[in-house]
Amino acid sequence: MKFQINKDYFTNGLQQVLNVVASRSTMPILGNVLIEASEGHISLTTTNLDLGIRCRIKADVTESGSITLPVRKLATIVRELPQADVHVESGEGTQTKITSGGSHFKIMGIAADEFPSLPSFENRKVYELSQEVIVSMLKSVSYAQSTDENRYILNGVYFNFADEKLTLVATDGRRLGLTALETAISEGNAGSLILPAKTVAELERLLGKGESVKIAFNDRQAAFEIAIDDSSDSGLTDHLYLVSKVVEGNYPNYRQVIPKETEHRVKIERELMLECVHRAALVVSEKHNSVKLKVSKNLLEISGSSSEYGESHESMAIAYDGPEVQVAFNPQFLMEPLKALTKDEVFFEFKDELSPGLFKTLDNFICVIMPLRLN
Amino acid sequence: MICQSARNQHIQASEHPTVKALRRIIHIDMDCFYAAVEIRERPELADQPVAVGGSSGRGVLTTCNYPARQFGLRSAMPVFKAKQLCPQVILLPVRFELYRAVSTQIREIFARYTKLIEPLSLDEAYLDVSHLKQRGAEIARSIRDDIRRETGLTASAGIAPNKLVAKIASDWNKPDGQLVVPPSKVEAFMRDLPVKKIWGVGPKSAARMAAGGIATCGDLQALDRTQLARQFGSFGLELFHLCRGIDERPVEPHRTRKSLSNERTFSQNLTDLESCHDALATQFAELMADLRAQAPDRQIAKLFVKLKFADFRRTTAETGATQPDLNIFHALLAEAWGRSGRDVRLLGLGLRFAEHNERAEQLELALDAVITTESSG
Repeated sequence: MKFQINKDYFTNGLQQVLNVVASRSTMPILGNVLIEASEGHISLTTTNLDLGIRCRIKADVTESGSITLPVRKLATIVRELPQADVHVESGEGTQTKITSGGSHFKIMGIAADEFPSLPSFENRKVYELSQEVIVSMLKSVSYAQSTDENRYILNGVYFNFADEKLTLVATDGRRLGLTALETAISEGNAGSLILPAKTVAELERLLGKGESVKIAFNDRQAAFEIAIDDSSDSGLTDHLYLVSKVVEGNYPNYRQVIPKETEHRVKIERELMLECVHRAALVVSEKHNSVKLKVSKNLLEISGSSSEYGESHESMAIAYDGPEVQVAFNPQFLMEPLKALTKDEVFFEFKDELSPGLFKTLDNFICVIMPLRLN
Repeated sequence: MICQSARNQHIQASEHPTVKALRRIIHIDMDCFYAAVEIRERPELADQPVAVGGSSGRGVLTTCNYPARQFGLRSAMPVFKAKQLCPQVILLPVRFELYRAVSTQIREIFARYTKLIEPLSLDEAYLDVSHLKQRGAEIARSIRDDIRRETGLTASAGIAPNKLVAKIASDWNKPDGQLVVPPSKVEAFMRDLPVKKIWGVGPKSAARMAAGGIATCGDLQALDRTQLARQFGSFGLELFHLCRGIDERPVEPHRTRKSLSNERTFSQNLTDLESCHDALATQFAELMADLRAQAPDRQIAKLFVKLKFADFRRTTAETGATQPDLNIFHALLAEAWGRSGRDVRLLGLGLRFAEHNERAEQLELALDAVITTESSG
């Protein structure tokens, strides 16, 4: 294998696949990146057996071939190289020569045929959607995923292709984010999957490099083919490919926890409320991690307090003419959806101190947040 | 031992002893515990086939003594079948209060040897004796002698570098025996064991392995990490260790009970909601007795009912509550049953405790209807 590559392209490519390495060093090759050189480009692949990523970068390949190299070490070396031109060469053994200007490296690798190939799979349902839309949908719910391993079924984002729309849901049992997109769904192509949190995080990072993303899945795996906008000077070409296990099992019936009707509804300015909650929460402590919302005629008051630091109080003008209601929330649960949204017009719905609060937008977004009961 | 009524405790380690390079773990397992306790109370039964278990025809045996086992009787066997195999079997009702008292006595014996005790149930515990000078075999023998002298009961023991192997070893020379598996013999010891001896390998995985020609841990040992990972995903990497008898889980003595529950597998599936309600009432009484005995002062956060259906699907219905209330359990049962409407194999009910020191209680979404299809464990 022999190729010449632009240093920034190489760095950029490694950056795409760098996060997917096995956390346990039980299988050294899982800490490596598979480099495959063929005409005009090289492919970089990493996998931790649950999630795999592959990207292509433009390169001047004079001899095709493949090798695996420790990905983190390689990324560090390439980033530090002195010149824009990088020459990479490997022969019979597992050593790979990397040269750039006056720098010469010989890096120990592992033969490419020991690298576990990314799975291909059948009986797939396939959709093609806009990257920009998917990434913004993911971000608007992913903060609500559970990190509690005992509730593994909630450790991901639920994708449901049904009823002429794609619905994304995430919940940790205390709050729930839901967003939907109208899209054509042919009969036989309807279906659902639970995408693991790690994959969601990688997708949020990788999407947005081009127009469309192709999603294919069956009941065990999901693959994302992310188109690359060639006109950018990233060195990436063709598409990014990500294949992941799905969380196996049935997602709980989330519809039952979305209140059909709430008593009161106020329109709020998203950024203003975010700032107020953020400030009010500056004095709360880990032990007393709550802010109180008090709604009265045309006024929303947000307050926080703790014995350690003291008290805070914020006021916001709203249009409201109902009875006075007080309800306490974990401030994080209020800020996360407000941060994730992009529309400025958000509705907040509530009933009483023991009922959930809801954020809604006009474009099919709902976040249900359970309150804190103050003793 | 398979119990007709298994009391589960979900536990949380609050302190991990440092994992040492070479540990010595003893797994102590009482021999046919419930039956042995009953026979101790009535020595005239010693040579006769004795079983402890459900008194109705639908009940199952929780345990039976060795004379009964010679007739083919086993734990979890339906009473009617036991009577067919051995009409003269002496069937005794379950007396948990008594077994619990004896169990406490046995744990006091353990405590003379080590503080690192992790009880698994009334009749089983792991002991970490790495810090003691004597050999593991001597300690195990001494503990078993104490148990025999002070309670009149026999116990078996497995002595090994970790929990996985110790537990398998305690079963080896049962009853009233012990087996030492020194570190150097662990890999060979594992080699001939069927794969289902490994925790995490349930009947489904075992069947999948059998289909691929893998029957023993030795068959798994023959595969390298890459092959295991290809076949079993990330669990394959754990299997690589487990099939060689490598297990680094510490013995966890400090535990906070997170829930209290009981469950019962029926020898004849319950075919209607009515009979489920009847069974629920019986189990509720047991749960209340356990609550009074084991955690009378804990604040309750939730109640739940768990069902396993004839098709092995499981479902749990759960609701927030601060008091155990039979009516709520009945409602949860109806809800859970309504999700399938199939015959019921197993009914469990229990309560989850509130976490300590909560000033403001985070309310939960009523979302616990998570149906998962799992293999029966």
